[in-house]
Amino acid sequence: MSTTKIKTRINGKQIESEVEPRKLLVHFLREDLGLTGTHIGCDTSNCGACTVLVDGKAIKSCTMLAVQADGKEVTSIEGISKDDELHPLQKAFLEKHGLQCGYCTSGMILTSLWLLRKNKNPTEEEIRKSLSGNLCRCTGYQRIVESVMYGAQLMIEKEAEEHEMVMR
Amino acid sequence: MNMSTVRWEDSDLAYDSSNFVRGKGHFVDDIKLQGMLFMTVLRSPYARARILSLKGGMNSQDLGAKMASVGEGADPGAGISIEPVFATGFVNYVGEPVAAVFAEDRYKSTDLLESVEVDYEPLKPVVTMDDALAFGPIHEGMKNNILVEATKGDDFSDPKSPIVLEDTLENERVSTNPIEPRGIVASYADGILNVWISTQSVHSIKEGLVESLNLNPDNVRVMQADTGGAFGSKGGLYPEYVMASYASMKYRKPVKWIETRREHLTSTNPGRGVRSRVKIFAERSGKITGMKGDVLIDAGAYGSGIASFSAQFVAMMMTGPYSIEKAFVTGRSLLTNKVPQGPYRGAGRPEASFFIERMVDLLADEVNKDPADVRLLNTSDKPFNSPLGMKIDAARPFFESAIKELEYRKEAKMTKGVGVSFFVLVPAVYPGESARIMVRDGRIRVWLGGNSHGQGHEDFVKKLVNEELNVPGDLVTLYRGDTGMTKVGVGSWGSRSAIVAGAAVVSVCRKLKKDVEDDNGTYSYELLLAGSYDEFINEEKRMTLNSFGANLASVEVGKFGTVRVKKCLAYYDVGRALNKEMVIGQIQGGMAQGIGQTLHEGLFYNEDGQLITSSISDAGVPLAEDLPNFGVKIAENRSALPHGAKGVGESPTIGVPTALIRAIEKASGLRLRKTPVTAEDLMQ
Amino acid sequence: MHPSSFEYFAPARMEEALSLLSKHSGEAKIMAGGQSLIPLLKLRIASFPYVVDISRIEGMDQIKEERGFLEIGALTKISELEDSNIIKDKYQILHEAATQIADPLVRNRGTVGGNISHADPSNDIPAVVIAMKAKLEVIGRKEKRTLNADSFITDSFSTALEEGEILSKILIPIPDTRSGGCYIKQKKSAGDFSIAAIAVQMTLGDDYKVRSAGIGLTSVAPKPTRAVKAEQYIEGKRVDNSVAKEISKIVVSESDPSTDFYGTAEFKKKILGRIAEDAINLSYERAMVK
Repeated sequence: MSTTKIKTRINGKQIESEVEPRKLLVHFLREDLGLTGTHIGCDTSNCGACTVLVDGKAIKSCTMLAVQADGKEVTSIEGISKDDELHPLQKAFLEKHGLQCGYCTSGMILTSLWLLRKNKNPTEEEIRKSLSGNLCRCTGYQRIVESVMYGAQLMIEKEAEEHEMVMR
Repeated sequence: MNMSTVRWEDSDLAYDSSNFVRGKGHFVDDIKLQGMLFMTVLRSPYARARILSLKGGMNSQDLGAKMASVGEGADPGAGISIEPVFATGFVNYVGEPVAAVFAEDRYKSTDLLESVEVDYEPLKPVVTMDDALAFGPIHEGMKNNILVEATKGDDFSDPKSPIVLEDTLENERVSTNPIEPRGIVASYADGILNVWISTQSVHSIKEGLVESLNLNPDNVRVMQADTGGAFGSKGGLYPEYVMASYASMKYRKPVKWIETRREHLTSTNPGRGVRSRVKIFAERSGKITGMKGDVLIDAGAYGSGIASFSAQFVAMMMTGPYSIEKAFVTGRSLLTNKVPQGPYRGAGRPEASFFIERMVDLLADEVNKDPADVRLLNTSDKPFNSPLGMKIDAARPFFESAIKELEYRKEAKMTKGVGVSFFVLVPAVYPGESARIMVRDGRIRVWLGGNSHGQGHEDFVKKLVNEELNVPGDLVTLYRGDTGMTKVGVGSWGSRSAIVAGAAVVSVCRKLKKDVEDDNGTYSYELLLAGSYDEFINEEKRMTLNSFGANLASVEVGKFGTVRVKKCLAYYDVGRALNKEMVIGQIQGGMAQGIGQTLHEGLFYNEDGQLITSSISDAGVPLAEDLPNFGVKIAENRSALPHGAKGVGESPTIGVPTALIRAIEKASGLRLRKTPVTAEDLMQ
Repeated sequence: MHPSSFEYFAPARMEEALSLLSKHSGEAKIMAGGQSLIPLLKLRIASFPYVVDISRIEGMDQIKEERGFLEIGALTKISELEDSNIIKDKYQILHEAATQIADPLVRNRGTVGGNISHADPSNDIPAVVIAMKAKLEVIGRKEKRTLNADSFITDSFSTALEEGEILSKILIPIPDTRSGGCYIKQKKSAGDFSIAAIAVQMTLGDDYKVRSAGIGLTSVAPKPTRAVKAEQYIEGKRVDNSVAKEISKIVVSESDPSTDFYGTAEFKKKILGRIAEDAINLSYERAMVK
């Protein structure tokens, strides 16, 4: 079994690892790095439970090899908030009941984060379209859509606050 | 998670939904133990074949055990048709476990599948229910493919009735498809088998393992991992759980098995898969005077799921909320070479409702009346004992208000494609549930016999503890299911948790209050928290509860046969809502599944018994884009229980398909008899 | 879920990639975005001793108009196509196809070249490049050659690529004024493969008669199909409802769908007929105003 050396930046931390080329990024995150917030729900790239950001873009980490992440920056659910403070989107999902069993939640939040960075104030339709690679079996999506809309608002408010802090 | 010494103090076992937004859940695949082996299962590629030779892996020669039938609707009397843990002599469905292999990681474990050699002699499979009736038995030693046969009501000769309507109605099989597939970690150490599992019931799993492997129950502890959805499919025992447990004892190493989605589709018990011939007798007014039904359940290859129970359960509910004086229904569960049938959200209730509601709509068309009026005409303002054995509360007042709350009359005037449904949900109250509350270090810790997987058990527990004992919610922690902490218990299914687990929590709280009063002469929550208490109750309950519900759907059918759901509304009696937001969330999620079953979802097999549904997307789990916003209204008519709860979880999968299919029928002008309704059915 | 072992190369230059392919001739598989290949590897439907990941080759992901062609590098991500202003403004047909491929996450990794080279009869880009009469540039160790889009895919999952060749760019002739096109895809639910889909591109003369037309079909034959007879029929005509209806009949006659999970052959033909009619009308409408 040959392995390949890769250098990645995972949640802001530079990491050097030896991986088998066949290892999927999701298994590298979960098993080699212990980042178990990224989940696996299917084997056909449908469900999006494994969504992470690679170089800022939401992708399915079950459909990417760990070796393909060499030289790239990966953000998983564990990397979107600092210390104990929740990211506005995480807060929004909790407050607006954007989850029930919690299994699809990481993927929902990361796809939404990618969307909101491109489009600060999306319409309901845009949110539903953006989430078409993420399946939820519990909520019927309505609360997820509401969470994303509320999260968008919180992110705008937070940005304004931070801007104000800088201006002062 | 350190495994051999898991104790209740370990915060890992506390159920906390805020973990999920941080990626800090404790799902079964997140568990990593020293020396753990990963199990992969070699499965039958044939729907039916004789095993000529089998070499390699762990197989029936190592473990000749049979599956114990446990969990929702379990029927221990399945006789010859009990599923073996490993296929023995024959395989009877595509995906049936034949052998298992073990390696230190999942990639190597998958590689090892190639080390197992099997020779099969393919046999002609019995794929459909018609095949099951037409051909000889799939199991040697049986006379035919009838797993069980039940009748409800007394037979009667067809009356001379102005209106006699007859039709055949069907629900395709549906995969439950929780986003987290099934999984288990089993670890045997110091004579104790510890099991972590994604489940609706740690007690069913324990009972099943004890029986299948002939273990001493004192030496088995089953703990619930965070459970990523279940919808019926994680309530009982499966072959992989027995294999993994056995392997952990044999190899003295922890063993993990995680299902793939492909395995979920082929090998996890799916729901629905029913068909019925239904005949109703009615007066010109639309008053139904009698009904007859002949229900067929596609049991699959073994009697291990819910199939033997379904036959009589569906039959019993066939008159719905209506006061139909004469009814006689036969139910037969038929063995086919497909994965055994199991419960799926509703577990017989949506099927029975589909049959009666489709007939009521047909009747309304026949007598040229509004379907809502025909429904009202057939409800009573007094309690009614149905000839099939259902106890129905006075139904009419609720449905009269439902018509108003749903604004049905207005919608029916405005829209062509509109449908309304009535139903009664009878939750699975029997045999009750257990609860344990421990007071230590100023905190309240709670265990329930059945466990949460997203329904919000932690919310009602906090609320009830607060109401009964005045303890602030943030001092109350619900722990995940654990047979080490509750000696007995049942499980989360059948719309029961808020009812029975809630009642058990109330009773334990009252015991604790008495304990505090006995110790101190008075009660205050400060006194409670200053003390150290531990109370458990296994509260038996037998009562029949009714939760009435009604749905409205309106649709447009496009020129490509696609259905756009414009409105999907619910008006449900939920009893006292212990947490309104959670109740509404539950209903919305169930409504999505109701739309899914009606428009998208099914498991399709070809004539060789091969599943042609090959992904979760093919199986039709709806996407955000496929669904509308839901309109949910609730009525809170308290039950007779001290905390006033009723059932709600299954209401939407009962009420949505029937309202929706009627709406499509009206919009398309085509009589519709089965779910899912496909674009191909509607393309004209 | 877990691919078999393979050796992996990620060359940074085309020459290196070509020499790896030649060295491991017959045993190496090219991977670009991996969105079709990795699922096959995971389910062990396919396995290869060597995987040559070409995604790190530089300069193969550009979208530009040059020398009469819209040039799209084969490694351009579907999402880049979707977000490109040139595409949005001038090539609606491509934009419409891109936005309907799988889901946004898959589009963030999947490439235009991969969508074509994988040669899945349900992939969307092939029909579009056929309708746009694109040329596909292919690089091998010895030579660089261009193939017509409609001869690139030879059968289900088979292409005219010779062993060791790599699809490098797609060259789409920049449409003249009075050109318009569209991509219409009918699917069971969002994110699905199509039941049937059609790409239509046409250019009108000064007299508003169709001067040239291209029609490509998805999911209705063992390979993406050019509806040649329909193209011939429409040329020289003004489009009205009856012409569109007639063309849709010809389109259907040129299809050869099979019955499968997505529906019966008959159903697919019905769907194709209706979307063909819509697509012809819409393309003509768009061409009129451009």
